[in-house]
Amino acid sequence: MLRLVLQRLLALVPLLFIVSVLTFSFTSLLPSDPVDLILGDNGTQEQYEMLRERLGLNEPLVSRYLDWLGKAVQGDLGSSFFNSVSVTGAVMQRLPVTLSLTAMSALIAIIVGVAAGVAAALRPQSWVDRVATIGATFGQAVPNFWFGLILVAIFAVNLRWFPAIGFTPLLESPWQWLRSVTLPSLALGLSSSAAVARQVRSAMVGVLQQDYIRAARAQGLSARRIIIRHALTNAMVPVVAIMSFQITVLLGGALIVEQVFAINGLGTLAIAAVRQQDIPMLQGLVLVMVGLVVSVQLITDILYGLLNPKARPS
Amino acid sequence: MTARTTTHRARPRRLALPSASQVITGAAIAVLVALAFMAIFADWIVPYDPLRQNLIQSLQPPSAQHWLGTDDLGRDVLSRLIYGCRIAVLAAAEATGLAVLLGVPLGLFVGYRGGWWDWCVMRFVEAIVSIPGIMVAIVIIAILGAGLHKAMIALGILYSTSFLRLARGVVLAEREEVYVRSARVIGASDGRILLRHIFPNIAPPLIVQITLTVGAVLLAEAGLSFIGLGVQPPDASWGTMLNTAASYMDLDWFLAIPPGIAIIVTVLSVNLLGDVIRDSIGRGIAIRTEPSTPSVRFAPTARETGQSDQAIAPGPDDVLRIDGLQVVISQRGGSEVPVVTDLSLAIRKGETLGLVGESGCGKTITGLAITGLIGAGGRITHGAIRLDGADLTALGQKQMVSVRGNEVAMVFQDPITSLNPAFTVGDQIAEVLQAKKGLSRKDAWARTIELIDRVGIPRPASRANAYPHELSGGMAQRIAIARALSCNPKLLIADEPTTALDVTVQQEILDLFRDLQDEFGMAILFVTHDLAVAADICDRIAVMYAGEIVETATVDALFARPRHPYTAGLLNATPHGSDHTPPLPTIKGSVPRPGTWPAGCRFANRCEFVEERCLSRVPLAGKDTRLVRCVRADELRLETGR
Repeated sequence: MLRLVLQRLLALVPLLFIVSVLTFSFTSLLPSDPVDLILGDNGTQEQYEMLRERLGLNEPLVSRYLDWLGKAVQGDLGSSFFNSVSVTGAVMQRLPVTLSLTAMSALIAIIVGVAAGVAAALRPQSWVDRVATIGATFGQAVPNFWFGLILVAIFAVNLRWFPAIGFTPLLESPWQWLRSVTLPSLALGLSSSAAVARQVRSAMVGVLQQDYIRAARAQGLSARRIIIRHALTNAMVPVVAIMSFQITVLLGGALIVEQVFAINGLGTLAIAAVRQQDIPMLQGLVLVMVGLVVSVQLITDILYGLLNPKARPS
Repeated sequence: MTARTTTHRARPRRLALPSASQVITGAAIAVLVALAFMAIFADWIVPYDPLRQNLIQSLQPPSAQHWLGTDDLGRDVLSRLIYGCRIAVLAAAEATGLAVLLGVPLGLFVGYRGGWWDWCVMRFVEAIVSIPGIMVAIVIIAILGAGLHKAMIALGILYSTSFLRLARGVVLAEREEVYVRSARVIGASDGRILLRHIFPNIAPPLIVQITLTVGAVLLAEAGLSFIGLGVQPPDASWGTMLNTAASYMDLDWFLAIPPGIAIIVTVLSVNLLGDVIRDSIGRGIAIRTEPSTPSVRFAPTARETGQSDQAIAPGPDDVLRIDGLQVVISQRGGSEVPVVTDLSLAIRKGETLGLVGESGCGKTITGLAITGLIGAGGRITHGAIRLDGADLTALGQKQMVSVRGNEVAMVFQDPITSLNPAFTVGDQIAEVLQAKKGLSRKDAWARTIELIDRVGIPRPASRANAYPHELSGGMAQRIAIARALSCNPKLLIADEPTTALDVTVQQEILDLFRDLQDEFGMAILFVTHDLAVAADICDRIAVMYAGEIVETATVDALFARPRHPYTAGLLNATPHGSDHTPPLPTIKGSVPRPGTWPAGCRFANRCEFVEERCLSRVPLAGKDTRLVRCVRADELRLETGR
């Protein structure tokens, strides 16, 4: 298992390198001069030159990249063009918000998706299957932020069960945290559960036709044991693979759903950064997100190995 | 758009009702045509100028003047919705078009070129894919600036990666095809090969990918406009309308409904159409053709004709007795066909009965019927299956679960696929002992090691921790046998257990069956198509043909003097030594499929001794264990070439 993890980590090096080059090159791709952006219209030529010097913009591109990379590796992603706050600090402050939203949505997507997919697969063509299939088809067409708005209208504005906006940190009050993430996580997670349910259903239908399921039945094992232990373990192999992709999608979706609920997460930070052309902030956001996605991939790779003995390096 | 759905319904028609999928496809096409119509003719059909403000009439509910009400600035929602159609069509066309134009040529190029080009581009694509899509779009918008066209360029670049991968995949698959290589050999230029030989293969997956992308673009455009990075106010798009609605959810939640429904219906239609296209491409042809069912009359079963075979005399130490078993399976369309008819047999304690015949004659289904595992498509209609006197066909699901494993166990043809790939082999045996015998984890494991040792696997303690794919076929079959015998069943059904194995391994497995039978004393129903194997292991043989037993005899009697022409044919088709120069004789034709059996003797159309008499039903007749289903059995002297 350690070997698998090391192998995967090693494979990440070229990926992270390219991402860092891509991220860094934003600065040079930007149509407007960052110094002008920071100074606004009133800056003098002297201030302009000073700031260029301070930002290191007079250095050659490669040495700027190496300098930036060296700091980034140590966790220093520079400071915002706009208000000089530390990018690392700003991102790390918002990260738990977006992360708890993504994690809750993933949990909902898995629970609902697996339950619906298994129920549908056990009785193909039954009403359960039809409802699940129709639900999954609809789920993939509903924009998650619109679904969020509808949830707000029903459960926050009308029924007043949940707050319509805002986010309470988990450590501040676990109960309020749960209340504040429920609606956004449902909006995000249910649309993802549609994709998961489709995948689980087709994987499960395939697995249930396998010889080893028939053999397990012939051996007189109970239907429950066969479905949960023998079939689901194998059906989860492809599901884990798409779950890794789905979490990337959820992370992206969280950026938008945050806006519906006025949650101050990475999405709000990213939108503000785009409007202000705050390049260091965007660079930092991209790097952190890639880091998250890559960690999720690493975890799913390990899970994949646990579920599928053939994938383990021997 | 959806507000205009007609309320009157067509009267239900009794004849020629279109299928559900046809209705859905039609509806999806209608929605998309309506969308295109509104996008093109928006200027003429809108009731109001979508940008005209009327602050006195802001946030009005739906009314006769404003069918969908007005927004915060008093603008007509319906008019804005119709203009939104134009934005949606434009956005989908721009982004998807750019993605195809960017992704396909680049994918073709790097796939065909390979090498460094391929490596660099693919690492680049991997990097893009590892960033959430919306973040990629946000970054590109940061560089280009906000606005519909710039946002669509961003989405085009983002989705070009999936077209690139698709085109590259097709090229990699086609590049080594013979016709492409031969084109290269005769000196066709690279460009010509790509265009003429490889590009046509991309069309089907490309169409599917385009429908997927159009749906994704519509959702992404709405999302970007919603967060204010796509279409800019005051222009109307479904996303910006939702942005407005979000600010007024407490005052006027209805604002969110029209644009939301418009997005859902449009994306749903695109996705459903995509599914239809994908399915029709998957089938190769879009036209549905029902397989023509043969019109041959079903053979009347013995019960229907009232001519049942003579019952087998019950023996005192019979473990299994099957009387008049009939199994039917349902075909597509709901009709049921018999696959096993009026089958009777008995197996004594410690005896091995071979059930022999070509594939498709009902041997395996008989084995599954005994364990109650025929599956959802089939059922037992007649007959009794008695295990130690108790009729298994009368038992409920729960009781059958306890019979399986404890009383009857099965060994299957392919040992590797019959073991669960996710668990170690020892785990799979121990599980049965824990679940069926209630053994503790520790005891179950100890017993597992004993069993693995008993079936002749060296170093059982370490082999118990192996996964099925780490074992050879012979080893895996030994494990499957150990598992089947773990609960000491009275009857073991072995369904072609040696067929998938090497010949040398076959013999070892057969020896193992004999040894274990001496020790455990179970009866064995040995299903095989191989008479040589049956001769080796069985005490008696029942020959099956087209769902019924045609001859039973002890091995010696059957081989010395077969009485049914089918048995003789099987014996002649079995290779036995190299001293025979003439080619191996075969039985002409093949086993008729269930539902197409001849009405009289089912072997009649393949039999060289066929007569007038053979065209009516033939009973199984004879004395004791020597039964045959042939009217000419007494007069024929069948040659076996032995």
